[in-house]
Amino acid sequence: MRIIQSLTFLIILFHSSVGQSGLTYEMKETENQLYASNKQINQFFRRFNGEEDDDGNRYYTSDKKYRDASLRKKYIPGLFDRETSQIDPNYARDFVRQITDKRSPAFLNFHEDDWFAEVTTEFTFKGRRISGLLYMRLQQQGQGYEWIIEDVAFDQFQKLFDKDTSSTKKFMHPLSHELDFMTLRKAFHGNNHNEQFTAKNYTPDFLTIFLYEMNQGNMKFETVKNVKFHFFSIDGWYFSLANFNRPGYNTGWLISSLVPLNGADQKKQLKDYIYNKN
Amino acid sequence: MKNLKYTILSLLLLTAIGSYAQNNVDPGRKQAIDSLALEKVKDLSKYISIIGNKETQFSESQRVMDRAEELFSPGSEMGVSSLNREEISYYKVREYFERLMALNYDKVTIKWYDIHYVSDLEQQPDGTYVGVITIYQRFEGSSNDGMTYKDTTKKDITIYVKKKETQIAGRIIEFWDVLLGDIRVTETSA
Repeated sequence: MRIIQSLTFLIILFHSSVGQSGLTYEMKETENQLYASNKQINQFFRRFNGEEDDDGNRYYTSDKKYRDASLRKKYIPGLFDRETSQIDPNYARDFVRQITDKRSPAFLNFHEDDWFAEVTTEFTFKGRRISGLLYMRLQQQGQGYEWIIEDVAFDQFQKLFDKDTSSTKKFMHPLSHELDFMTLRKAFHGNNHNEQFTAKNYTPDFLTIFLYEMNQGNMKFETVKNVKFHFFSIDGWYFSLANFNRPGYNTGWLISSLVPLNGADQKKQLKDYIYNKN
Repeated sequence: MKNLKYTILSLLLLTAIGSYAQNNVDPGRKQAIDSLALEKVKDLSKYISIIGNKETQFSESQRVMDRAEELFSPGSEMGVSSLNREEISYYKVREYFERLMALNYDKVTIKWYDIHYVSDLEQQPDGTYVGVITIYQRFEGSSNDGMTYKDTTKKDITIYVKKKETQIAGRIIEFWDVLLGDIRVTETSA
C-alpha cells in the first residue's frame, strides 16, 4: 500500500498539465473558449449524458453526480449551435424536457444507439478528382468495435442509373425465350441505360460499385473534406451534429439541426433523404 | 530520466496474468493509463517546441526527432488542415517534424495551452484499447523583415493501450503500455 502511495505521489510530481504557465492575456481568453468547446464527440456524449464535472473531469457510475439531472440541464443548452443553425426554440425546449425527464431520462449510448457518420470525401476516379459521401457506422467486431462503410453516394455512380419506367421504355418482348434471347443483342446495342431491363424493384447497390472500382484500382482515396453525424437514438427525434470552428464560446461539436419525428415512416423518409435514396 | 518516468508510471499499471479478464478498463486503472498517456503527450509537445525552435542545433533536432518518433507506433501519420485549406494533407510523423524544422521563419515560438481532453478508452477488434487526447498549440513565427504569422492548432492524438508481458522474479506479469498513433492537426479560429 505504501508503495502505491509513493508511486501515486511520484505521478503527481511528474504529471502537470501539457501546457505551461506564462500565457498571454489573449491566450488566456482563447483558452477559456477552448475549454467551453465540445472538443471531441466523446465530450459531446459526456456532456449530453451528464458524465463530466465543470472542470471536464470524468464522472463514473459510482460518482454521486453521475448523470445528474441538474447537471444535464446546465450542459445540454450549450450543446446546440446558437449562432447559425436556426433551431426552433420550441423544439429545443421540448427535446431538452424529454431527455431530462426525471422519470424516464434519455441518454446517448456510444455502442448501441442508432447513429452514423456522413463523411464528405474526395477520390481520384478515371483521372478526375471527384467528391462523394461515405456513410459510416460502428460495428461490433472481435474483442471490440470498428467503423465500417455502410453505404456511399457518388454523383458519378448515381447518374449512370436513370431507369425509364414509362410505358414507352425499351424492353425485350415476351417471346424472346423462343429465340434463345437473341433480343439481347438489340437491347444492349448502343445503350447506356441497361437498367431498364431489370425488375421493377431493382435498386443499384452503389457500395458494391464503389468497392469494385476501388479494388480494381480505378478509384484512389485523396482526402476527407468534412464530417458530420446523424442521430436517431432519442425516441421521436432526429438531430445532427456538426463541428463549428469559430471564435467564441459556442464551438466544437454542436447540434446543428433538430427535427421531431412522428412515427417510423417519417424516420425512414428522413434516413432515405440523408442516404440519398430519394 | 524519461525511461525511468515511464517505468514508474507503468508500474502502476502492472497486473498479474488472469487477474484482469474483464473488457472494460476500471476507473482507477483508466486514470493511471491517462497519466502515462498524458506524460507521453507532454514529452511530444516539448519535442515539438524544441524541433520548431530556430536556435536548436541541427544535430540536436535530429536526436530529438529520434526520441519523439519512439513515442509513436510504427506507421503513424499526421493529418493536417488549415482554415484556408480544409483538405487534409497526410505526412509521416518524421516528415512532419522535418517540415516543422524547415519552416522559413527567423524566430519560432511554440506554446501549449493549459488544456487537454482525454477520451474514454474503446477496445478495437484485436483487443488493443484506443483513445484520443486533444491538446492545443500556439505557434508564432516571425521573420527579420517584421513579418509575423500566428495560429492556434488543435491536435487530436491517438493513443494505443496494449497489454504486454514481462518477467519479474520468474513470474510473468502483464502491464499496460501506451503508444501514440495518428494525429489530426486542425487550425482553429479561436
